[in-house]
Amino acid sequence: MGAARLKPALRDEGARLGFRLTLPAQILVLFISVFPLLMQLYISVTDWSPLSGLGWWNAWEMWNSFANYTDLAADARFWSALKRTAIVMIVCVPAEFLLGLSLATLFADDFPGKRIFYSILLMPMMVVPAVAGYMFFMLFQSGGPVNDILSAISGTQVTIAWLSDPTLALIAVMIADIWQWTPLMFLILLAGLVGVPEDQMKAATLLGANPWQRFTTIVLPKMKTIIIIALAIRVIENFKIFDTLYIMTGGGPGVATETISVYIYKVTTQDLIWGYVAAIALAILIVLSIVAVFAMKRMARARQVPA
Amino acid sequence: MSAIQLRNLTKTFGDFTALKTMDLDIADGEFMALLGPSGCGKSTTMNMIAGMEEPTSGRILFGERDMAGVPMGRRGVGFVFQNYAIFTHMTVRQNLAYGPRMRRAAKAEIDRRVGAIAELLQLTPLLDRKADRLSVNILQRVAIGRSAIMEPAIFLLDEPLSNVDAAFRAVMRIELKQLQRQFRQTMVYVTHDQLEAMTMADRIAVMDHGVLQQVGTPLEVYNNPVNVFVARFIGAPGMNLLKGRPAESDRGLVVDLRPLGITPPLPDELAATLRGARGDVLYGFRPEQVALAQDGRGLAMPVTFVERIGARTIVHLGQGEGAVKAVFDNDVGLAIGQTAVVAPDASSVRVFDASSGVAMKAG
Repeated sequence: MGAARLKPALRDEGARLGFRLTLPAQILVLFISVFPLLMQLYISVTDWSPLSGLGWWNAWEMWNSFANYTDLAADARFWSALKRTAIVMIVCVPAEFLLGLSLATLFADDFPGKRIFYSILLMPMMVVPAVAGYMFFMLFQSGGPVNDILSAISGTQVTIAWLSDPTLALIAVMIADIWQWTPLMFLILLAGLVGVPEDQMKAATLLGANPWQRFTTIVLPKMKTIIIIALAIRVIENFKIFDTLYIMTGGGPGVATETISVYIYKVTTQDLIWGYVAAIALAILIVLSIVAVFAMKRMARARQVPA
Repeated sequence: MSAIQLRNLTKTFGDFTALKTMDLDIADGEFMALLGPSGCGKSTTMNMIAGMEEPTSGRILFGERDMAGVPMGRRGVGFVFQNYAIFTHMTVRQNLAYGPRMRRAAKAEIDRRVGAIAELLQLTPLLDRKADRLSVNILQRVAIGRSAIMEPAIFLLDEPLSNVDAAFRAVMRIELKQLQRQFRQTMVYVTHDQLEAMTMADRIAVMDHGVLQQVGTPLEVYNNPVNVFVARFIGAPGMNLLKGRPAESDRGLVVDLRPLGITPPLPDELAATLRGARGDVLYGFRPEQVALAQDGRGLAMPVTFVERIGARTIVHLGQGEGAVKAVFDNDVGLAIGQTAVVAPDASSVRVFDASSGVAMKAG
């Protein structure tokens, strides 16, 4: 008996009961997601800071008529941090994707020692990011292992000051991110790769497709959804890059590796202008939401089936 | 040339022997069924013909050409998988065009060939349908079309009807056979279903435990099984086999099926063969080739079960090693507990050596 066939009064009764039963869950959702968002929105149009002596609910007394947003639009440090974040993302995510996909292709077949290599390959992902940051901080010291290896290869004493040079510091930070997050990409893509039906691969081979053709005509289309998921996860995560980077460079030298998260952290803890922080965070949320919506749309299109 | 020759073909997986020294000649344009229970080596044989597996030893020749080292993409075989392996992310058109596209045929050429094959297989109205929402008979046609467009000299089909429900299977069998008549290619068809093999194949290769048991036309295999395995495997129900010993009687040579009694006299040629033989034999007759007889003219056996399957009635007689089945018309008046006297049709009786299981040939 479907709900549509119930009498209207009974249906309303059911709906009311449903509402009452889900009320606790709804209140919970309200507190963990809607309430903080509204609070953020509220604070973002004031000059409130925890040192102002006012409770946050009284922040309206410090109303500044959207000055935070106009400041933000003119904040060169914000825009350069945003640009830097974008550069890191444009380099790291494709690099992680290509490396992850290559490794996944390799691991889709059997080879001796596969299980051991598999475990080793997943280890970076399990290292606490702060620890990874410290590891790379040590590796990239001017007297550190990276320079030692370069010295051994080139035969001359190499003393590159990796973390003190604005460009090299950014490169070092990106290498650390790629090292840590390629395994995640690898893991997701491997799951997608082993899901490609083997008999369809055989059929393609019998029809004369070479390995590259099989990859582009069968493997990639079959993995479309999972590729989009993997990329979306890494784009969103990479946008928030912080812990490893902060331990390695602290956003320095100067602001050379200052990404959005580092910038927000500094404004929050050093400048303590929380109304402004709220405005930045909200602006970023909007950017990320647009990315997410775009990704979801692509995903939906990939999955849709014509009638 | 698209005849297939298998020469001393063997395949082992570690300690397991999947195929023991197989020799088989498949003629150009022939429909050959590889028939056997699961694990008999029929799929292994076909995979080796397709190049998906390497033979452990022996040779595979297409015409005069040795296929050793020829990769599967270059053997010119069409392969229809058990589940069809249709590219579900493509349309019917893209599936059909896949082979020529991979060989970088010109666009116009691909369109022409796809159009022609779609017309032949009645797929034209479905060309732009996504392949993941097609019914199984259309999937079968797409799978065949996708291979046929490459104009392979040899078609290999791996149990293509095993995922289809029984009612539909009859339709598909006829469709497949008609398609083979259209394409006139050499077809190798792997199946465990004797009905498929019997109805479609020109010849059947019966296999068991990695050994080729018998090759012959469906009627040869049915009428003259070379051994006990083929006798039991072919036919539904399979041939009845009763253990006994040849004995002389006043009506000629009979088989003494102690304690069931003696059989009707054997035909002269068979009797001649048996007179020179020693030891126990298996007396074989088809359940379909049995008549009810008067007392003393056949084997008197108790009816243990009656299966009425519509057009006919299968009567189970006797128990244990002496159990046989007999197929009668549906109006046969037998019930459980009664005793029936059955006489096998003399010309259809086959005798096998009891120890080796090999058929004892008349004459």
